[in-house]
Amino acid sequence: MAEHGYDDLERDLAALGRAVDVPAPGPGLATAVLERLSDAPGARVSPGWPRRRLVALAVGAVLLALLATPPVRAAVADWFGFGGVRVERGDAPAPTADPTPPTVAPGASLQEAAAMVAFTVAVPEELGDPDGVEVSPDRRIVSMSWTTDEEGVLRLDQFDASLDFSVLKTAPDVFYAAVNGTDALWFEEPHEVALLEPDGTTVIHSARLAGHTLIWQEGGVTLRLEGDVELSRAVAIAESAVPVD
Amino acid sequence: MVYTDRTREGHPTLDTGPDDADLLARVRGGDRDAYAELVHRHAPVALRTAALLGAGGDTEDVVQEAFVKAYASLDRFRPGAPFRPWLLKIVANETRNLHRAAGRRAAREQRSWALAERLLLARADDPAEATLSQERQEALVRGLARLSPPHRQVVTCRYLLDLDEAESAAVLGWPRGTVKSRLHRALARLRDVLDADAGRVQAREAAHDG
Repeated sequence: MAEHGYDDLERDLAALGRAVDVPAPGPGLATAVLERLSDAPGARVSPGWPRRRLVALAVGAVLLALLATPPVRAAVADWFGFGGVRVERGDAPAPTADPTPPTVAPGASLQEAAAMVAFTVAVPEELGDPDGVEVSPDRRIVSMSWTTDEEGVLRLDQFDASLDFSVLKTAPDVFYAAVNGTDALWFEEPHEVALLEPDGTTVIHSARLAGHTLIWQEGGVTLRLEGDVELSRAVAIAESAVPVD
Repeated sequence: MVYTDRTREGHPTLDTGPDDADLLARVRGGDRDAYAELVHRHAPVALRTAALLGAGGDTEDVVQEAFVKAYASLDRFRPGAPFRPWLLKIVANETRNLHRAAGRRAAREQRSWALAERLLLARADDPAEATLSQERQEALVRGLARLSPPHRQVVTCRYLLDLDEAESAAVLGWPRGTVKSRLHRALARLRDVLDADAGRVQAREAAHDG
């Protein structure tokens, strides 16, 4: 493999790695893990104690507050952020037929879209190549869609999770889910979704109703999958996402 | 420090205990001690992964959280699939989440690397244990610092953590082909950077001598 002067590079890198002194696991680790396990594997996590758990609890508490707040209360404080998404509590929109996500017209290729934005674009292997791919004019959002006989239209939007807020969702109900073991949000009911200006505040455009939606994060990117699928299917699609190289 | 507690299929170690699949079957049957065994078995590599991906002082918390989350989502773990890459993927996600508050991607990656760099530059207490000269060690770390984040990450997984290709793909969330091609490019780039670095060091020494 050596093509240059530095023959022993791979050996030296391995030695560098071996020399790293990471403290051995303390005897308390397994105990601490066991104390936090729920009764059955695969069940949701039970409340725990270390610092990092508090963050998740805080999010959980906000969600509970959202669900519990009477609709007459001012909505000003009733929001939280999740990787560039701002979720506000709102009343359920008037019942309509299940909204279908807008399709994306064929235009850019995956590689072209990936080259145009500053984050890593992913595509779910479960769905294969999308029928359409587009990059928003401000290059903040990459969108793609698939139209199939079995599942109708599925749409995936993705953007840098560290943006202040890109997408506003006003929803009556939000659920906590997990993708690859990390937190995700699941919107079961039709809800309003809109794009926000880069400063995250006032201007709302492209507001529309959205159906089942899963929002998760992978490698610093927020992904938003929308379509007429169950949560388990949405998670399976989410977990099959791989970057476009 | 070499860890010998990894049991991979086809590579049995001296540990003749049950393999991961047996333990996972027992965990699914409600045997919590079997999960404790999995924690013991995989904690060392989980800690190393979190530390070298930049978990810093939160390394143990990240690993604890990852084991709890892995258990909580065992219903989506495909029976028969290897446990280690799946666990390490969760560890990597948890480590990334640590820096979520740091703002933009570049800032987060910079923070992760700063924490990993500190570990890589530490010297063993016992000089007899060091297999690398201090100069070589420092040159390698300087070289790694000059790689792009994806190149640095793939070298970290394959060489510093000694993960195999499938495990690296899981940790990085990339397809295996991407791991392979980026690793190839990363090593070539690192060789170039190190050659240039060596040239600069020599020139500096020559200037001093002259």
